[in-house]
Amino acid sequence: MDFGMTEEQELLLESLQELMEREAPEKEVKKWYEQGAVSDSFMKAFLEAGFGFLGIPEEYGGTPADLTTLLMVAEELTRGTAATIPALSNILNMYDMIEFGTPEQIRLSMDLYEKTGKASFSLAISEPQAGSDNSGMTTVAVRKNGKVYLDGCKTFVTHGGVAPYCLVVAKDEVPDRENKNMSMWLFSADLPGVKFAPLHKIGQGTTSFAELYLDHVELEESALVGTPGKGFLQLMKNFEIERLLLCMQTLGLAEAAMDDAAAYAAQRMQFGKAIGEFQMIQQLLTDMEIKIKNMRNMVYEAAWLYDHGKSIRLESALCKRYCGRASTEVCSDAMQIMGGIGYTTEGRISRAWQDARGWEFAGGTEQIMVHIAGRQILKKYAK
Amino acid sequence: MKIVTCFKVVPEEQDIEVTSGGQLSFARAKAAISSYDLNAIEAGAQLAETGEHELVGLSIGNAAIHDSKLKKGALSRGLNSLFMVADEKLNQMDTHQTAVLLKKAIEKMGGADLILCGEGSSDLYAQQVGIQLGALLDMNVVNSVSKITEENGCLLVERTLEEEIEILEVPLPAVLSVTSFINLPRIPGMKNILAAGKKPSTVWSAEDIVPDVPPATISVLEVKAPEQTERLQNIIDGDADEQIREFIEKISAAIQ
Repeated sequence: MDFGMTEEQELLLESLQELMEREAPEKEVKKWYEQGAVSDSFMKAFLEAGFGFLGIPEEYGGTPADLTTLLMVAEELTRGTAATIPALSNILNMYDMIEFGTPEQIRLSMDLYEKTGKASFSLAISEPQAGSDNSGMTTVAVRKNGKVYLDGCKTFVTHGGVAPYCLVVAKDEVPDRENKNMSMWLFSADLPGVKFAPLHKIGQGTTSFAELYLDHVELEESALVGTPGKGFLQLMKNFEIERLLLCMQTLGLAEAAMDDAAAYAAQRMQFGKAIGEFQMIQQLLTDMEIKIKNMRNMVYEAAWLYDHGKSIRLESALCKRYCGRASTEVCSDAMQIMGGIGYTTEGRISRAWQDARGWEFAGGTEQIMVHIAGRQILKKYAK
Repeated sequence: MKIVTCFKVVPEEQDIEVTSGGQLSFARAKAAISSYDLNAIEAGAQLAETGEHELVGLSIGNAAIHDSKLKKGALSRGLNSLFMVADEKLNQMDTHQTAVLLKKAIEKMGGADLILCGEGSSDLYAQQVGIQLGALLDMNVVNSVSKITEENGCLLVERTLEEEIEILEVPLPAVLSVTSFINLPRIPGMKNILAAGKKPSTVWSAEDIVPDVPPATISVLEVKAPEQTERLQNIIDGDADEQIREFIEKISAAIQ
């Protein structure tokens, strides 16, 4: 079993550390959270140093990279900044577009992405009545007189109101629960009938979030992405690696909290000694370290399976079930060690804790992960 | 034009520890390219890219510099190829020894039109090697270089001095030592890193370039970290006459 990194991966992470030293000092990261977005200059620098092209096919200017390497970058970026930076999820969105989009759609998305490193399109899937239960979706695309008309309401739209385009999943023709046919549509965010209303989160303040109202938005047939009726299946294609990516971000947050809290415990003097010498603090640190190890081992094992062409349906669900909660707990214990300082917004731990909490439901709730994993476990152990 | 960029492999500064006896411990220090030499590599890469020149890296040191990751790291920063003289005999060389060996290596490599060095190494910062190398090779030498542009087969070189910027026309061949503010070294991306592994590199032993390593011209008796002094922690707040007087009094007392 090889837990080591290749020289190339080590060099890549050293480059990333160099980039973070230059472009993402804590003062800057704090500003991103206050302003509600990662700075344009960071997103550009991340892209220009080549990180934003990892795993994108070479014909589109990308560099081949396996999932393990991509996840290492996600871990390091999150750990180094103690922040949630949407750079890697932007890459995943490009994977979707490259896989299912028409050459024109791919070119459009890549051109925008190459200029800024920011998301070319917002992703509108969830609805007020359809979260994990996607059959409850009522946004509908109806064909009439050679045009397509979109109606409905989306919520928790990542990059909503900021990205220049929208990628929307809608039911074909009829919004009924029984209708399983959904399609994906890509269109400009400033078309008539498209309206965003911002939502405000308590964490992950670096990514905008909005409700999206679609009022008889007129589209051409060319706005269709992929195969008609298969929109949700297309979306699911990358759900599993998206889960691992989110888990890596939870791991990075936990590690950042650990970095700060453990260093503090070794220095903070009370009752004549460093608080890290007290067993109750050591117990917190030990349990935090176990959770961090569990997270790392689970996610990298799943990435290894994926890179070797094996199914990760069970593993990705197990990771998502475990990592969000574990990360929140690690950040919370780190805050406990730091005491009052950890609760202030001056330090990084309060931010990591708020961000980690969001990953307990974003990208699939811990509860729905039981539903996914449970069925797989029964299958796996069936005699 | 063939450009040779020389670089030194040094222990990573942030990993060097001071032992209780005041000695420096390099036990945990990883080998890294001296930070000022990164500027020299970048200066070479920028010239090579604009003028389609060949850029070759050269490093001389003990056997540990012959490290696959280190070589890829150097090659990922814009070099076309790399030469190293790595030998246990070449441990802790002084500036003269380094300059002599660099000269021999460059001659064996077929010479160079332009040789770039960092202003000094990030461990000892003697700022000697570039100057000595130029003298040994009988080439034009300019140090403190803060800008290089190419014009009609000649180089326009800027030196930022205390009160003025000196612009020199330097005919080739030449040795230039560049400052740390000449550029911001690039951050190698995955593409550069992957390509680095495929670029040619040659590693020689000391015997390959000289029959005998020249003797050291200086001998180092001891290297010690400066002793930590307890700070007095006299803090004077404000800039009124009274505080300034207090400041002068305290400084004068401390000097005497």
